[in-house]
Amino acid sequence: MMLSTAALSRRYGDHVALDGVDLAVPDGAVYGLVGPNGAGKTTLLAILAGLRRPSSGTISCGCPRRRVALLPDTPQFDPWLTGREVVALAWQLVAAPVPASRIDAVLQDMGLADAADRRVGGYSRGMLQRLGLAATVVGDPELLLLDEPASALDPAGRREVLDLIARLPATTLLSSHILADVQEVCDTVGILRAGRLLYQGPLDALLVGRAVPAYQVRLHEPVDRVAERLRTEPWVTAVEQDNGQSLRVGVRSLAEAELLLPRALAACDARVISLAPRAADLEDVFLELTS
Amino acid sequence: MNLWRLEWLRLTRTRRLVALLGVYAFFGLTGPLTARYLEDILGAVDTGGVRVELPDPRPADGIAQYVGNISQVGLIVVVLIAASAFAVDARREMAVFLRTRVSGVRDVIVPAYVVTTGAAVAALLLGSLAAWYETGVLLGPPPVARMLTGIGLGALFLAFAVAATALAAAVVRGVLAAAGVTLGVLLAMAVLGGAGDVGRWLPTTLSGALAGLVDGTAPSSYLPATAVTVVGTAAALAGAVVLGERREL
Repeated sequence: MMLSTAALSRRYGDHVALDGVDLAVPDGAVYGLVGPNGAGKTTLLAILAGLRRPSSGTISCGCPRRRVALLPDTPQFDPWLTGREVVALAWQLVAAPVPASRIDAVLQDMGLADAADRRVGGYSRGMLQRLGLAATVVGDPELLLLDEPASALDPAGRREVLDLIARLPATTLLSSHILADVQEVCDTVGILRAGRLLYQGPLDALLVGRAVPAYQVRLHEPVDRVAERLRTEPWVTAVEQDNGQSLRVGVRSLAEAELLLPRALAACDARVISLAPRAADLEDVFLELTS
Repeated sequence: MNLWRLEWLRLTRTRRLVALLGVYAFFGLTGPLTARYLEDILGAVDTGGVRVELPDPRPADGIAQYVGNISQVGLIVVVLIAASAFAVDARREMAVFLRTRVSGVRDVIVPAYVVTTGAAVAALLLGSLAAWYETGVLLGPPPVARMLTGIGLGALFLAFAVAATALAAAVVRGVLAAAGVTLGVLLAMAVLGGAGDVGRWLPTTLSGALAGLVDGTAPSSYLPATAVTVVGTAAALAGAVVLGERREL
């Protein structure tokens, strides 16, 4: 394990922010820590980075403190520094075992080479996020702690940052409440709610274990009549309306539905836009575990 | 790029160094001038028939005018600049950048303290030399040894004021809050010092040492305040480091 905690707790007066968290981040993993706002994600990352102290519990890290890097959710820097100076300062402070040429290399990787000599006071939010990432990885840390790294960005900026994270070689622990991001870049996931870790393990195992065979059916017309008709079929386990034109049809098995669902839809003259098996996603599991 | 250069850039790129040097130089040039022509200035103002007669200005008056100004406006500027350097925890995201990369808060405080104090002392030196020159031209030369001693004691007071700001920034988070607490404490010291004999032990006494020495006060009378200021500066810096290490982000 690169990082583990045992019975980690943190209280703020009567409020329990973390309650006996046993975190286990495997070496080389991209670990997604998900949870609603106020779940304790930022507190947990701050404790792991040494910025706050736990009320009780222990932390075991597989690398020295100086090899751990934290990126806050909205990184900010003195506006009168240039981008290159920020990364150079970060490189110097962590006494990184890498040459100074690494500074320009990470600026290039983050798409900031052209803006490197501009003062960061004129950077956009996305550029600041990429600059924060550059300053975080310039020392080649062994463990990266990323707090909501893409949640404050527009779709294009979010896409850029997710692509950058996906390419990082270090063990990474990132927190997010955007479940699609976590599902995209993480291989291990922990679900935190009200300071308690509800689930932790490989993402695939979480999704496979929770997968319920179902089809997503989109129709042209109002779906009520079709839903009523499908509910009478013995091989249909559930029918839920996602919105006015979409049905989520639970079935006994996908193989059975492949044969019978088109026939049932045709029998009730449904005007089908699309029809596809519905894979379980992290959002389903998250809602199931946290509701 | 390192923390020493960061502090230097903080002073130069934000024009804080220019403001600091400008304030002290301005009062260094205008203080003796005001003392020399105060009677003329008052004579030019409509005083409702009241005639103000002042004794002939002496070199001590020129220096006293300068010291009176820098003890207030100059000190406020120094404390504000120091607060902006020490209040790194005022914005969490900026604090995270430094605090997660240094081995301790001391690594941040020492460069900020040395660079800020150096700038404040340089400003005091510049202003004092300007006042010295102007006083010599307009009112007569002040005593050299007492001028040098007074500048040294003034520099020691500024070193204390900057250290006190570092301590205040470790107690409160904001720039204005740190500056306000520091100025409040220094003001309370000045009021306390004016109320009785305890003043000879207080660091704020040193802020007027330059004027006092040129006016004939015995240098030995500043020894108690000097000793307390040296100890107080070291204690304030140590307190800032200890409290800064304990503070959570």
